[in-house]
Amino acid sequence: MPVFKTPFNGYSVKFSPFYESRLAVATAQNFGILGNGRVHILDLPPTPSSPFVELASFETADGVYDVAWSESHDSLLVAAVADGSLKIYDLSLPPTSNPIRSLHEHSREVQSVDYNPVRRDSFISSSWDDSIKLWTLDRPTSIRSFQEHAYCVYAAVWNPRHADVFASASGDCTLRVWDVREPGSTMVVAAHEFEILSCDWNKYDDCVIATASVDKSVRVWDIRTYRTPLAVLNGHGYAVRKVKFSPHNRSFLVSCSYDMTVCAWDYMVEDARIGQYGHHTEFAVGVDMSVLVEGLIASTGWDELVYVWQYGTDPRAP
Amino acid sequence: MEKAINRQRVLLEHLRPSSSSSFVYGSDSSSSSPPISASACAAGDSAAYHRTSVFGDDVVIVAAYRTPICKAKRGGFKDTYADDLLAPVLKAVIEKTNVNPSEVGDIVVGTVLAPGSQRATECRMAAFYAGFPETVPIRTVNRQCSSGLQAVADVAAAIRAGFYDIGIGAGLESMTSSPLAWEGSVNPKVKIFEQAQNCLLPMGITSENVAHRFGVTRQEQDQAAVESHQRAAAATASGKFKDEIIPVPTKIVDPITGDEKPITISIDDGIRPNARSSDLAKLKPVFKKDGSTTAGNSSQVSDGAGAVLLMKRSIAVQKGLPILGVFRTFAAVGVDPAIMGVGPAAAIPAAVKAAGLELDDIDLFEINEAFASQFVYCRNKLELDPEKINVNGGAIALGHPLGATGARCVATLLHEMKRRGKDCRFGVISMCIGSGMGAAAVFERGDAVDDLCNARVVQSNSLLSKDAQ
Repeated sequence: MPVFKTPFNGYSVKFSPFYESRLAVATAQNFGILGNGRVHILDLPPTPSSPFVELASFETADGVYDVAWSESHDSLLVAAVADGSLKIYDLSLPPTSNPIRSLHEHSREVQSVDYNPVRRDSFISSSWDDSIKLWTLDRPTSIRSFQEHAYCVYAAVWNPRHADVFASASGDCTLRVWDVREPGSTMVVAAHEFEILSCDWNKYDDCVIATASVDKSVRVWDIRTYRTPLAVLNGHGYAVRKVKFSPHNRSFLVSCSYDMTVCAWDYMVEDARIGQYGHHTEFAVGVDMSVLVEGLIASTGWDELVYVWQYGTDPRAP
Repeated sequence: MEKAINRQRVLLEHLRPSSSSSFVYGSDSSSSSPPISASACAAGDSAAYHRTSVFGDDVVIVAAYRTPICKAKRGGFKDTYADDLLAPVLKAVIEKTNVNPSEVGDIVVGTVLAPGSQRATECRMAAFYAGFPETVPIRTVNRQCSSGLQAVADVAAAIRAGFYDIGIGAGLESMTSSPLAWEGSVNPKVKIFEQAQNCLLPMGITSENVAHRFGVTRQEQDQAAVESHQRAAAATASGKFKDEIIPVPTKIVDPITGDEKPITISIDDGIRPNARSSDLAKLKPVFKKDGSTTAGNSSQVSDGAGAVLLMKRSIAVQKGLPILGVFRTFAAVGVDPAIMGVGPAAAIPAAVKAAGLELDDIDLFEINEAFASQFVYCRNKLELDPEKINVNGGAIALGHPLGATGARCVATLLHEMKRRGKDCRFGVISMCIGSGMGAAAVFERGDAVDDLCNARVVQSNSLLSKDAQ
C-alpha cells in the first residue's frame, strides 16, 4: 500500500463514511506547537503501486488537530483548529469559497470534533478550555456548551446507537458520559490515575467504552459496571494517544501511541494484543478504521507520513 | 509565544506526568521506563541541524543492495562464479529503481584478491549478465579492504566532477576462488625498510600487535564477537536484512558425490545465534602463541557482493526516485602498517571533520570488525557509544568479503538509518586497510523535505515562451 507524505506533521486521519477510498488528514506545522495547519483530502489509488491522489487541501492559520467527515453530506467536513475555531469545508465548492463556515467560540485549542452518526445533523467539539460544544451546520453559534471537566477535554465521541449520548475523555483523569437532553453529565468514571487522551464507543455493544491514557494502558469499560474495567490492555511503551473500536468486529480495537507504534487488540482474549505495527518513526498520533472496508486501518504521525493498510499486512509493503 | 509554550507543556505532561505515583505494568513491572526530561535545544547556531543543505548537485544514493554473505569454501557460494555474485546486485539496483541501464555513466567495482585484469573482465561480463548494454563502461578499484567504499566514493567524485550523472559503486569478493597469497618473491629491500616489511605481516599479527600495544583483553574481544553475532542474529530474525538482501539463485555441488543442486541463497550463513563468551574462550589463538586473536573474534573469510546506485539529486527528483541517502565526504588516511587496525580511529575524525561535523553529530556507525581487537580499540579511542555502532552485527558475524564489505556497509547503514527515522541523520562507514591505512565516509539520511514531492511531474512545459525553452 502506498504512503502519503504530508508537508506538515500529521495529527489525525479519518476515513470518509461515503467513499471507501477517501480519507481526510489533519496536519499542523512544527508538531502543532506553532505555525499553520493543513487539511488534506486523499483518494486511495486503485492499484497499490500507484501513489495517493490528493483531491484537495485547505490551509489554516493554526494547526489542525482533528477532522471529521459529515454524515449527511459526502462533501462536507469539519476541521478542529488549534486557534479555537472549527472550520467547515465543502469539497464540492472551489477552494476560494472554502471554508464555508468558521465557528469560533472555544477560547483554547480544539482537540477533537466528532459528527453524530445517528442524527447526522450535529457535531460536538472538545477543547482545552475544558468544555465541549454542540453544533449544527446551519447555526452560526453553538447550541449548547458542556462545562464540567477540570482540565483539557481531549476527546468527545458520540454513541453509535443512541442519538443523544456522547462520552468525553479529559486530562482531569475522568471519562464522562453525557446525554444532550440532560442538564449535566449522566456518569463520571474515574477511569485512570493519569490523563485520558482518547475514548471510543464499542460499535456493537452500546455500553462499552475504551479509554486510552497517559498511564500507557487502554482500558475497556462497561459503563453499567464502571467501578472496574472489563479489560486493561498494556503493551504500549508511552502514553496512548488515540483508540478506535472496529466497525466490523465487536472486540477488535486499534490504538496509537507516543511509542511510535499502532497496536491492534482483541480485548476479549487472554493475550489481548494481536498486532503491533512499528512503521512510524515519530509519535503515532492518529489512527482510524474504515467503516466501508473491513480491516482497513489508516494511521498518521509526527513523521509526516500517512499509511493505509489492511489489518494483518505490513503497512510498509509496496 | 505563550500559546506555543503552553502547548509544549501539555504535550510534555503526556510523556512525563507530574504525578509521582508509580505506574502499574501488566507483565513487566521490573523495568521502569527511563525518566524523560525536557532539555534545552541542543542545536545551537553552529550545529549541523541548522545547516540543511539540500542542493540539486548533491550526490545521492537511490538504491543499495547486497547479496547474502556466505562462508568461503564451505558456505552457500562455494560453487558460484564471482561474476554470478555481482550480476544479481547490479541487476537489482536497476530493476528496483526502474532506471534505464543505458543511462548509467560508469560502474566501479571494488575487488581485492583476484588477478587484476581477469577480475576486471569478469566484472564486465557480470554487467552483461545483468542486462547492461555494451555502452556502459566498467572498471575495478583496489584499496584492499576499503575497495567497496572506495568504489562508491570514486563514483561520487566522478559525478561531482561532471563526468556523468548516474553511476554504480559496487564491491565483489569471492574468497573461495582467490586465496590470500603472495605471488613470486619478495623484494630484498624490505630488510632495510621496516615499514615496507610490516606491510607483509599477516593481518592476524597486526591484530595481535594492536591488542598488545593498546591493552585490548581477550575477554573484551570475545565479548565484542558475541555482541556481533547476537545483533546479526536479531536483525536476521526480525527480517531487517530483507530490505537490503537480494536472493541469489545459484548451485551447490556436493563435494563427495559431485551432484549439482540448484539453490537460492537469501540469508547470511556465517551468523552463530548461540555464540557465547564461554564457547569463544575455549578457542586457541591462531596467529601468535599466548595471543588473543582467535577464529572466533576475527572476521570470517567470505564470498559476497554489493552495489550502490548514485546520481545527482536533481536527476533523482526528476525521475521521482526516493532518496535513500546522501553521500557527504570520504577520507582515506595512512597509518603504521604494523598496527593497521587503528585505521578507523584516524580516518573517522578526518571524514567527519571534512563534512563540517563533530563526532557527536554522527548517529550511526558501521565500523568493519576485521578483528575484535582493532574494533574495540577504535571504539574506545574515539569514545563512541556502542549502541550506535554495528547495530545489526558486523564482519565477525556476517563475514568480510574484502572488496564487497564497503558496498555492503552502505546498504546496511542506509537501510537502518531509514528505519530509524529523522532522528538518525548522519552515519559513518569505516574500515581498517591491510598495509596500514584507514578509510571512512560520511552519509546523511535521505528524504530531505522536498516541498514538491507530492506534486504532479510536468512532462512538457508548454507555458513558457519559445525563447525560454
